[in-house]
Amino acid sequence: MPQTPEPSVSGGRTDFPDENDSTCSNLSNRSLRIAEKEKKKSEAEAPLSVALTYFSEVKAGTPVLGNDELEGHLVRLERTALAQGLPPHAVSIMLEFAMSLRMTNAITSRVLRFLVPASVVPQEAVLRGVSWLCTQKLSQSNQLLFLRWVLTMFDMIDCKDNLRAIYGFIFSFVTDESMCPFICHLLYLLTIKEHVKAYRVRKLLDIQGKMGRQPYILQLLALYKVFSPEMVPHSVTSRMRTGFRNHDSTWKAPLAALAKRRVGQETPSMDLVLGLRQKPNRKKRKFHHLEVPDLAPAMGPNSRKGVCLQQLRSFSELLDNLSSIELPAQMGSLLSSAMALHYLDCVQDESAFLRLNFWLGHALQEEFFAGPVEGGQESMAEAAHFLSMLVSTQHFLQEGFSATEGFLCKFLEVWDGFLHRPQILELLSNIALVPSSQIKQVLFDPLMQLYFTSSVFFKCSVIECLSSMLRKWLTWHSVCAKEEGLNISLNNRSTMSLSLSGFLDSVLKLVQFVGRLTSAGLQLERCHTLLLHHALGFYEMVSDMYLKYSLPLFVMLPPGVFYPALLAADPIAVDRLGRIMFKYRQNLTHAKEQRLKQKELYLQISRSVYEEFNTYLVTMVGFLWNSVAFGPRSGLAINQRLLERTKVANYSSSFNLVHHPAFVNYAVDFHQQCWPERTDMDLNSIQAGRYWDWYVEYLYTQGFEGLRDFIKVSINPSATRQSTAHPLSQPSQSG
Amino acid sequence: MLKPFRKVPVLNTANLLLVENEEQLQSRLGEIILQIEKDVKINVRLARKLPLPMDTQDSRPRIDLVVFIVNLMSERSLQCAEKSIKCLDPGFFLGKVCFVVTGARCLSVSTNHLLTVRKMAASLHCPLLFAEDQTSEGVSTVAVRLLGILKVAAGLVPLATGLSLNSLAHCVLPSDLDELDSLT
Repeated sequence: MPQTPEPSVSGGRTDFPDENDSTCSNLSNRSLRIAEKEKKKSEAEAPLSVALTYFSEVKAGTPVLGNDELEGHLVRLERTALAQGLPPHAVSIMLEFAMSLRMTNAITSRVLRFLVPASVVPQEAVLRGVSWLCTQKLSQSNQLLFLRWVLTMFDMIDCKDNLRAIYGFIFSFVTDESMCPFICHLLYLLTIKEHVKAYRVRKLLDIQGKMGRQPYILQLLALYKVFSPEMVPHSVTSRMRTGFRNHDSTWKAPLAALAKRRVGQETPSMDLVLGLRQKPNRKKRKFHHLEVPDLAPAMGPNSRKGVCLQQLRSFSELLDNLSSIELPAQMGSLLSSAMALHYLDCVQDESAFLRLNFWLGHALQEEFFAGPVEGGQESMAEAAHFLSMLVSTQHFLQEGFSATEGFLCKFLEVWDGFLHRPQILELLSNIALVPSSQIKQVLFDPLMQLYFTSSVFFKCSVIECLSSMLRKWLTWHSVCAKEEGLNISLNNRSTMSLSLSGFLDSVLKLVQFVGRLTSAGLQLERCHTLLLHHALGFYEMVSDMYLKYSLPLFVMLPPGVFYPALLAADPIAVDRLGRIMFKYRQNLTHAKEQRLKQKELYLQISRSVYEEFNTYLVTMVGFLWNSVAFGPRSGLAINQRLLERTKVANYSSSFNLVHHPAFVNYAVDFHQQCWPERTDMDLNSIQAGRYWDWYVEYLYTQGFEGLRDFIKVSINPSATRQSTAHPLSQPSQSG
Repeated sequence: MLKPFRKVPVLNTANLLLVENEEQLQSRLGEIILQIEKDVKINVRLARKLPLPMDTQDSRPRIDLVVFIVNLMSERSLQCAEKSIKCLDPGFFLGKVCFVVTGARCLSVSTNHLLTVRKMAASLHCPLLFAEDQTSEGVSTVAVRLLGILKVAAGLVPLATGLSLNSLAHCVLPSDLDELDSLT
């Protein structure tokens, strides 16, 4: 018989058994803890299924008060749901339990509030939910809660075709005043073209008559209008203000936490993402109009119909699935994905562009024209970011969105000339050709008012923007003209087509407008050098329109630009003017030859263009070469007596290549190189004999190539100095 | 009645009168304008409404530009500007009046008010400037623009007059609005 140690009370040994005791208790504690842990572990796995079994089998009318089993299961489920989300089958069971109202409304509300799906929501569950909604048993607050839940989780519903099939059932709820806003939002998300019916439009208009112009009804009608414009009266959607509110407040935090965790797990695999498309981390903001939605498919991944853009990982996959791609639920998401833009560009889907324009127009309207103007740095940066993204998207597609154009027209009218200037001007330079009947009102009037009341730098950027606009129009024309002959259609998707004369009209108006802006602007700004160079840059393009862009249009630069450039103190301006005159000459000569050769009827160059050109030519040669400035034949003839009163000795030679303020330092330099020993400087000696030729050659070596081209074609080399300019003869039959 | 040519101009001096009923933007604008301009002497006078009191008439310099600041969110601001305009000598409308509006981008509130101001500015052939008064950059932008107009109106820019600037930059009503008006 084993001896059990006797408990002793003697002092010396008291420690030992105590120690023994403690190890004993330690051991037992550990095993206890392990057991507990095991239990917890199994509890964490099992209880979910146990709880789910409980909720799927619990009978209606089971008492709630004092029901510890129910409470335990609820708490466990709630903890799991908020921590990691519920798997699809659990969502189905719990939704079924809640909506069937097997216990009280309070329990239903509690369940709905923690019903956070981990991955997807099965469509069937939502369908059953909607059918329970039809029984009208739920309390009103729970009905609304359910609808808010569906709206919040909408993008997680795995497939929506059956939901679309019961569109009529859902539509029938619009008559319920409290549910109407949510139902309208849900319908907005579900609507496809087949759903738009005249009786539904009538019903909505009817409700609107009763309840007033509610934004949610307007939104839905606007969408209907996109699908079938003929059914919805125009007045309904012309003045839209706000859209749908977000209803996700209840589930926002857990959903965000889940999304965060998921992002951490996933490796970014889209290598086709453009640089700018990373979403910035944004804090809370009052309005979220500019938030580009995620690329969630309208149909679920398991729907038979097609592949969603989100699933594609590479360009080759995109090519393989090009014919079976489904557009996403929210068109704005296309903007965030380069893949989607590639697709959009390939497919030229009219309805896709329609929907995208609709989304875009709405987002821009909400951001820039609604509500009290926000001045926060953050919202400004966000708006700027969005506009930049729009700019890069349009560059990518190489065309503007019609929604952007509508927005710009409105925005220009109330613009202060500073807000988002780089983006606005960039977007403005992208707009498609404006018909000449509207161009004044849409572009010119607002720009004039801004241009003349703003600083010289704003003036320069406007000219820059208009130059870029003209260049895009011309490029587009030269591409189209080659492809389609003279029958130009304005845009692949627009029905408006434009004849060549219409195009010429618009271009002519634009060039004339810039002519006005630059002449008057230079006058106001005292011939500011920067502005002058912007103007010259514009006319470098205009002078070469026929040869470079095969556009038979000749517009000379206005005197308000020509004379400031000719008399500028800046040699580069004179050089550029030389190049412009050279280009004009080339173009006009070529056009004349073509006309004689081919007898092309459309090449009607007006006589006044030749006259203007020749006047400029004679003036320029007279000033720079022949020293007959301000003479009677030049375009800038000044009374001789008046000139004498200025007490300038040799006024007529004061603008030749030697004495011109822009070149005088070159002349001095040349003088020093020719006669290094001479102490008295006499620039007139350069004008004599061969020195002049050498001086001109010297100028050429200094990089004045425009001047060189101009002199070579305009001045007869054999008759030195007193040579006459080579004016272009006008074609005899020109009108 | 304020008259533009009652007093002779002073060399290298420009005088600006800012009229705003709410007194929200005018003092900020005035300060910025004074800060920017270094070459010319600028006097900024502030008023809530016109007519200006008679007793200070003698000490008041010649006014080169009158700017009406209208807050489109407020009905009162608009009415006040409409009344004040009547106290100006017609000579001012040859290039010495300008409108600045704020809050134009809130279309839901300001559409009708904006239309009224537009019509007013267009019928008087005056420039109409839009200002973003919520941001400091917006305020300084409009200050720079006003300074530019003021210098022209005060005759400090060679080759340019207030009248010539007006003919280029005056407010224009969209043509479809004209048609609407003629129909109604």
